[in-house]
Amino acid sequence: MSTDSLTQDLTQRTENSSRELLARAFFFGCAFLSIVTTISIAVLLVTEAAKFFSITAPLVGVEGETATIAEFLTGTEWRPNFTPHEFGVLPLVSATLMITFGSALIALPLGVATAIYLSEYASERARSFLKPALEILAGVPTVIYGFFALMYITPALSTIFPDISFFNLLSASIVVGIMIIPMVASISEDAMSAVPDDLRQAGYGMGATKFDVSVGVVLPAATSGVVASFILALSRAIGETMAVTIAAGSQANMLNPLNPLGYFESGMPMTAAMVQLLHGDITGGGLAYRSLFAIGLTLFVITLAMNIVSDLVAARYREEYE
Amino acid sequence: MSTDARDAVEDGFGHVSRTVGTVFRYLLLVSTLVGIVTLGVLLVYVANDAIRPLTADPGWHLTFVLAFALPSLLVGGYLYRRDKSALFTGLNALGVPAVSLLFASAAAMLFVDVVPPLIWFAYVVAVAIPLVVLLATTRYSHRIPFLARVATLAAVTVASLGVVPGAIQSLPFVPQAWLVVAATLGVPVAGVAGTYADRRWGRRAAVSVAVAALVATVAAPFAGPTIGLDPLPATVLMALAGVPTAVYVGTVVVNQPERRVGLLLPLVVVAGALVGGAVVDALGFAGPQAWIDWQFLTSDHSNTPAEAGIYPAIVGTILLMVVVALASFPVGVGAAVYLEEYAPDNTFTRVVDVNISNLAGVPSVVYGLLGLGVFVRYGGMTPGTVVVGGMTLALLILPIIIISAREAIRSVPDSMRQASYGMGATRWQTVKNVVLPRSFPGILTGTILALGRAIGETAPLLMIGAPQIFDLPTALDARVGAMPLQLYVWATTFASPEFYTTALAAGVVTLLVAMLAMNSIAIVLRNKYQREQ
Repeated sequence: MSTDSLTQDLTQRTENSSRELLARAFFFGCAFLSIVTTISIAVLLVTEAAKFFSITAPLVGVEGETATIAEFLTGTEWRPNFTPHEFGVLPLVSATLMITFGSALIALPLGVATAIYLSEYASERARSFLKPALEILAGVPTVIYGFFALMYITPALSTIFPDISFFNLLSASIVVGIMIIPMVASISEDAMSAVPDDLRQAGYGMGATKFDVSVGVVLPAATSGVVASFILALSRAIGETMAVTIAAGSQANMLNPLNPLGYFESGMPMTAAMVQLLHGDITGGGLAYRSLFAIGLTLFVITLAMNIVSDLVAARYREEYE
Repeated sequence: MSTDARDAVEDGFGHVSRTVGTVFRYLLLVSTLVGIVTLGVLLVYVANDAIRPLTADPGWHLTFVLAFALPSLLVGGYLYRRDKSALFTGLNALGVPAVSLLFASAAAMLFVDVVPPLIWFAYVVAVAIPLVVLLATTRYSHRIPFLARVATLAAVTVASLGVVPGAIQSLPFVPQAWLVVAATLGVPVAGVAGTYADRRWGRRAAVSVAVAALVATVAAPFAGPTIGLDPLPATVLMALAGVPTAVYVGTVVVNQPERRVGLLLPLVVVAGALVGGAVVDALGFAGPQAWIDWQFLTSDHSNTPAEAGIYPAIVGTILLMVVVALASFPVGVGAAVYLEEYAPDNTFTRVVDVNISNLAGVPSVVYGLLGLGVFVRYGGMTPGTVVVGGMTLALLILPIIIISAREAIRSVPDSMRQASYGMGATRWQTVKNVVLPRSFPGILTGTILALGRAIGETAPLLMIGAPQIFDLPTALDARVGAMPLQLYVWATTFASPEFYTTALAAGVVTLLVAMLAMNSIAIVLRNKYQREQ
């Protein structure tokens, strides 16, 4: 190899060589795809939902039957597949709220307790068993949780509460609660592990017991992470589909979320309503098809807002120890 | 009075009640276990419904306890007392064949029922030609400009894919299916085994290992029929399960003499199962009348639970997973590399960052709507096909893959990057030669976990219009069902008490086994990776 070409090799600018640019462009494209996905979700949901509401339908050039926003948001009947059509989302929202609340009652205390145990008490050995077990809890397909609720939990509940119906919100809440425990636990535990050891040692130095340190020092210091985990888990419970579709039933009853007896009845959460709509007319864009996107948009907005709030809480109230 | 008060203080001082702490501790432990134990109980119930162990003859149970369970437990206990690492080896030597057998069976299903071997062969050759050209150009000439090389490669690929499959399919003679598979699987498997051996034991051992692997694969179609296997599945099983198992056992025997004793465990387990089976046959004890049996795994859907099977759903799930993995892995890793290695610290990067974590929180049913709208309604594709389903699920797990791949890439020490740059490597060379190889196990773990999530997703498939009653999918544009979808259909459309405790329970166990197999591979990989670091 001649000296000239060697010098040329060694001194050529590589940063902008075509190979580097090609690699960079490929990686950038991959990252950009995530933005494209979000934009397509938003645009698709908004345009399709716009065809559903009478106030926006003329804007997107759709003729025919529509529903008013007032009817959608305040109507208490959901009857998309039979005439006269009724598109009131409240019954669906009430069932979703009840399942979310019920599952939160189960998952939030258990999740936080699990997080404290894993981060403060458990030995390395216990952790090496418990953490994979929790992962499996989160990994079991939701359709199987629905089956468990229908097949085993409802019969067990009906021995305690004889007047419980075959499809009921209670069993749905229980399985959704079980499946979101790992989410609360792992995010809260991350927050607790991030609490510096100095704080614990200071607590012990003041004569505090392990209980005092866990509850009085670590938990308050990790509050932002714990709250963020609550919000994320609730957003997951709201978006949960298959378990509630199978276990909660397909009758859109208007329930009073404040009445605990409602948990013994069947109801149809928003996600179950979306699955239910698919059994009807979705072939060519009837009103039922468009209502699918209206609910989808509602769901997307709620979960997105919760995710953003969770991020903000985690960032805004994080205690910085450095 | 004052002395009384001081006494009282001194009595209490230094005494800390342990009750609260102890109660609290056990309360926490119980809370931790509630979810896990509940799931465990539910799993026992469903396994009982699916397998029905109580329908077996008491003699059957007795035989298997004596021949199989007792010796296995004894050997396991002995290994545990003697040397825990040997027990670990024994468990691995059981796990490697079990898991590789699962995946090899999945591949065998595709070869038997979905991809005709001739078409497979045609496309393997068509892809191999550009690969050879690529290797040749990088190896023998550094003087060709990069863009010219890319252009040549693209041209060769297009030409090869356009011409070769047609040419091979119009060959005057048609090679035997198993021969085709033995060649196309045996050669790469032998290559991989040889490379592995080369790194551990040197060139000479590598050659003999590779030759042995190739010979075993080619011999399998002849040996298969003697134990009741067709030549084609026998070849696939040998290449994808037999060879890896043999390589693992060989590694233990050669490199870890102190752990050799662990191999006793799989030996006892397999021998116990065989002996137990033979004794049960000879004495005429009836086994359990399980719902999950060979008939269930290999039949189509039926309206009567006794004849219902899950085979089309299994094949559908396998095909979907192949498409999901091919679509999401490169893109997910690419995005992670961009964000960790290339991205400048600007607004766009932060937007992408926040966006990905939000995408991970979008409900799966909304992704189904995305697939329905983008691919079916505006993209004009047929609803419910393998491609549409696979791409929808790929979009769903993409954020999970990106997040875990970023974590793996971040764990590569910065000093290694600096060393690479210090030797004059460019950014792409650093990514290719340092960052990706070093973070690969972590990326793989994350991807497998994400695929384990995709395997159980039902809502997106329902949304994109997957059919409720489906046949065996035979092409990428065929309409497809999947295991969780089949379970949903059985739990709703065919809702009846007979289905609940029979075919449905068996289906649940099948899906759980698939999901647990994926998760356990990921967990084992992660533990190994963390130990090595």
